[in-house]
Amino acid sequence: MEQLTSGLVVEHVTKTFFNSGGYFTAVEDVSFSLNDGEFLVILGPGRCGKTVLLNMIAGIEEKTGGSIRYNGQEKTGAHPDFGMVFQSLALMPFKTVMENVELPLKLRGVPKGERRETARHYIELVGLTGFEKSYPHELSGGMKQRVGIARAYAANPKVLIMDEPFGQLDAQTRYSMQNEILRIWEAERRTVIFVTNNIEEAVYLGDRIILLSDCPATVKETYPIGLPRPRDMVSREFLGIRTRISDNTDLAI
Amino acid sequence: MFYTIGQRKKWQRILYLILPVLSVALVILAYALVQMRLPALLPDAGELWDRFLRTFTNPIKEAGLPGHIWASLRRVLIALLFAWTLGISFGVLIGWNRTCKALFGSIFELFRPIPPIAWIPIIIMWFGIGEFPKVLIVFIGSFIPVVINTEAGIRMVEKEYIDVGRVFGAKRSQLLREFVVPTALPSIFAGVRTSVSCAWTVVLAAEMLGADHGVGALVTRGWNAGDMALVFVSIICIGIIGAILAFVLNKLEKVVCPWNN
Repeated sequence: MEQLTSGLVVEHVTKTFFNSGGYFTAVEDVSFSLNDGEFLVILGPGRCGKTVLLNMIAGIEEKTGGSIRYNGQEKTGAHPDFGMVFQSLALMPFKTVMENVELPLKLRGVPKGERRETARHYIELVGLTGFEKSYPHELSGGMKQRVGIARAYAANPKVLIMDEPFGQLDAQTRYSMQNEILRIWEAERRTVIFVTNNIEEAVYLGDRIILLSDCPATVKETYPIGLPRPRDMVSREFLGIRTRISDNTDLAI
Repeated sequence: MFYTIGQRKKWQRILYLILPVLSVALVILAYALVQMRLPALLPDAGELWDRFLRTFTNPIKEAGLPGHIWASLRRVLIALLFAWTLGISFGVLIGWNRTCKALFGSIFELFRPIPPIAWIPIIIMWFGIGEFPKVLIVFIGSFIPVVINTEAGIRMVEKEYIDVGRVFGAKRSQLLREFVVPTALPSIFAGVRTSVSCAWTVVLAAEMLGADHGVGALVTRGWNAGDMALVFVSIICIGIIGAILAFVLNKLEKVVCPWNN
């Protein structure tokens, strides 16, 4: 089946860190291209590589080999078509929910009235209406993550990068946020790159899963997930895919 | 012994209300006890009160107690205004810009350990004992903590915040304004708080060494005239005003940094 590309092509990307004690390869020879509108999950065990890979795609980390092309051009640095939800939330504690969400627009010089309106739309979309004036420390973990998601959407990206956004949430909140993210994705139809170390989460969310190996991160296998949504986590098909991936996953210590 | 949470909270609240009052009361009691044993060293409460009232009826150098307090406060406020503006700017500069740090950092390190009071003789020699030299000494004393805390705050900014800025395409000046300075604000405020207590200490020292007006001048005058009651009245004023300044700053911090509780 021929699919439209989103314009992002990652080819043979490698990242090696050098220090006084020698070197350490975090990402090695990773290649994939991103389809338009898809929910791509990058699944990898534990410790290394995933965040580094994402940061290279987002343009906040230099790669040491390979190429990342966007719309046919080598992508260096940040690009307005890319937004990001950070693993550690990275909300500004000194800004209210509204100020956090409108921040990307403010940085672009969008006038106040206009950016307020856009921010309000996304605050509503993530279900935080009424909390515009709250500071992050007044919110629960799940609510903070919603702010991070609203902020990334407010930047109006074509490609939304999410780095283990639910890693710090308790299981219950995590399940409801997974449904929430699918709802938002279906409402807004952006291309998503979602990183997780949780197999169940990957199978539940992804159109396609790229399984990475443990240090250094290389592409082990790609799994297209054809299951219709909403997916049933205890159906035979779901468990079957889950087992296949889990048998193929490096043990994370 | 077990308490339910509600009980313990109530019990604690009462304790935290009583303790400050109790500790002040104990100091007053100790003063009274020592005073009874050694009346030559300490004036009694009646004497203090009389002396306090006489500062209004018999002005010293044409100024009552409020006039002297204002003289000190005015020097402090002028000096602080300059110390804050210049100190925060300089701290941001050396915290954010490596070239500036390399250029000015070591000069600052050299000046930093010199206690502000050590400047008094030099500044009096150069500028005499007018208003300007006193303000200058207070400025030196309060400038340094502002710079130190501002720089530390700027350096503490997490890389992550900078990453957020870069992902969303912030220019360098925007990184500074939207991410770095606000993150450093609580630390800057700590510097402001230290600068106020430094300023209040230094202004009194400067006044004690040569001034007609100011609370420090009252201390010296009481000392020279053997007027212990005046010395004590002045010292009590110094303490109370210092405490009020600290209180005002605490309130101000809640307004300036509402997220930092």
